[in-house]
Amino acid sequence: MEEDGCPRCKTTKYRNPSLKLMVNICGHTLCENCVELLFIKGANTCPECNIPLRRNNFRVQLFDPHVEKELDIRKRILKDFNKKEEDFATLEEHNAYLEEIEDIIFNLCHDIDILETNKRIEQYKKENRESIVKNRQKISKEEFELEVILENEKEISEVRNKELTVIQENAKKKKTLEKEKLIDELMFSSGDAKSIVQTYAEKMEEDKKELDLAPPPPKLTKFSTGIRFSSSIQQQYLPVPKIDEGPIFIYEEPEIELYGPNIPRYEEISEKNYLKHIRQENQTERAGGFQSKIACYRAITEAMQGLYPF
Amino acid sequence: MAPSSYKKYEKISFLGEGQFAMVYKARNIETDDIVAVKKIKLGSKEEARDGINRTALREIKLLQELSHENVIGLLDVFGHKSNVSLVFEFIDTDLEIIIKDQKIVLTPGNIKSYLIQTLKGLEYLHRSWIMHRDLKPNNLLVNSAGILKVGDFGLAKFYGSPSRINTHQVVTRWYRAPELLFGARHYATGVDIWAVGCILAELLLRVPFLPGDSDLNQLDRIFSVFGTPSEELWPGVKLLPDYIQFKPYPAIPLKEIFTACSDDLIEVADKMFSLYPMKRCTATEALKMPYFSNRPPPTEGSKLPMPVKQSEEEPSGKPNLKRKLLDQISDSIPGKKRLQF
Repeated sequence: MEEDGCPRCKTTKYRNPSLKLMVNICGHTLCENCVELLFIKGANTCPECNIPLRRNNFRVQLFDPHVEKELDIRKRILKDFNKKEEDFATLEEHNAYLEEIEDIIFNLCHDIDILETNKRIEQYKKENRESIVKNRQKISKEEFELEVILENEKEISEVRNKELTVIQENAKKKKTLEKEKLIDELMFSSGDAKSIVQTYAEKMEEDKKELDLAPPPPKLTKFSTGIRFSSSIQQQYLPVPKIDEGPIFIYEEPEIELYGPNIPRYEEISEKNYLKHIRQENQTERAGGFQSKIACYRAITEAMQGLYPF
Repeated sequence: MAPSSYKKYEKISFLGEGQFAMVYKARNIETDDIVAVKKIKLGSKEEARDGINRTALREIKLLQELSHENVIGLLDVFGHKSNVSLVFEFIDTDLEIIIKDQKIVLTPGNIKSYLIQTLKGLEYLHRSWIMHRDLKPNNLLVNSAGILKVGDFGLAKFYGSPSRINTHQVVTRWYRAPELLFGARHYATGVDIWAVGCILAELLLRVPFLPGDSDLNQLDRIFSVFGTPSEELWPGVKLLPDYIQFKPYPAIPLKEIFTACSDDLIEVADKMFSLYPMKRCTATEALKMPYFSNRPPPTEGSKLPMPVKQSEEEPSGKPNLKRKLLDQISDSIPGKKRLQF
């Protein structure tokens, strides 16, 4: 009982059965009321270890405080250390990677070399920034696929339920019909009432057996998630066409026939002082992408173009 | 171009209708070639009084002088009654259809091929002192041999004149460069390169990259990806006519948007999406970047994916409602026969 108490107000589960214990990232417990009190003046720190806390990080304690703490840390670490087995060349490398994660989590949980470990995490984050982002997206994709599967399953069960209700309704209708028939027969037929009732009862019995024998068609195996999964995925992605390698692209300067004397290259316009007597473009023109150089080059080109018509 | 008349062409089917023109598939009776005939709409009476539509004039004026594998060829122009029609080579599909076709997988080689062809066509145009000003997937036509051709020169114009002012209301909004959105009246080929960048992004994402629903929203979308420009990054931006201060966004590295994309392609995209037009690459500079000569090589034309052909009867059988109505109107006018093209 001693353990199940709030360290601040000393209330225990024994004295207050509705006591709700909460835990934050540092792994220290507080009861709900004390959490409320702690944040009455805005942000505050943990009364035991003085690290700053956030209110929305408080969760209901499900396990022992140190387990909770480890869970928190694990969650945080795995967010960044999100490589998968496929990302490694060999199994050993993957194992070493998992070992490293466990080391880090253990260190953080037991306050060993906190600074050193945090440095290690930072370094990993820096080195693997791209792959972290990529893997996170991959995970979200997996989640999406999972959602699709769940959705499918839901649909299937809905269909099954509908079928079941239809069958049940049909049976009910049949029953009332039979009953009416019996009453009709009893009322109007000249036969013995007892024998009529008996044949009716026999018929009922048979129908019942039939119903029991033929339960709603079991479609469960047909839609086992495994099968559904692979087939739906295959439908989503088209096969990538086989890549036929053609020749590599090599840039070639396009030839434009001028029918005139050679003109300077575009780069030479400013180098060879062609711009000396031309109005410099103003700042607004330059901001829009216009340069006097372009106008000058065009003027030169057009002056020379077509001078030798034959 | 040899003088010709409307009699030379035989209408096969109706292909589509744009803002200024109707396009028909037709056959050249003399050579048996399949062509596309673009019949320029006359428009309202007021418009008609001003003479032939200016987009048509632009197309005729510019295209007559151009000849390049990756630029659509204008084969012929003819007038009939008060109509003017332009005859183009017939091209099966366009990049928009290819991008939207869910059944087509675009490999890195395919994308490289489309980009190279677009840039080659554009390089030719820019060297001929023409800016296209309306580049979008819909205007990049692809024929059955996988050859991409830049089409629709209705907004194209000569550039490089120091005194001439251009309108900033060009280019379909989603592909419009930031300097145009800020109302720049002097601009150059950078506007086309920005559009190519958007097309490249669309080829990768298979949805429009920056689908703004207003000019302001367009700028907002641009800056939320590439960061709000400062005076250091874009000198003189504050002087542009329609400049507005935007809330500062940080730039997102393109690598985080196109996660599956190779680094050399990111480099190209970065250059094309430079907010400051002077820092944007030219078509020639782009083609010289390592991405284009790196592996994988561009897919050969004949191996490029083509959308599954729709039944050819359908478009001719069901012209859209608007056209039907128009036909009825022209039918009902007494003494005025239905115009042939």
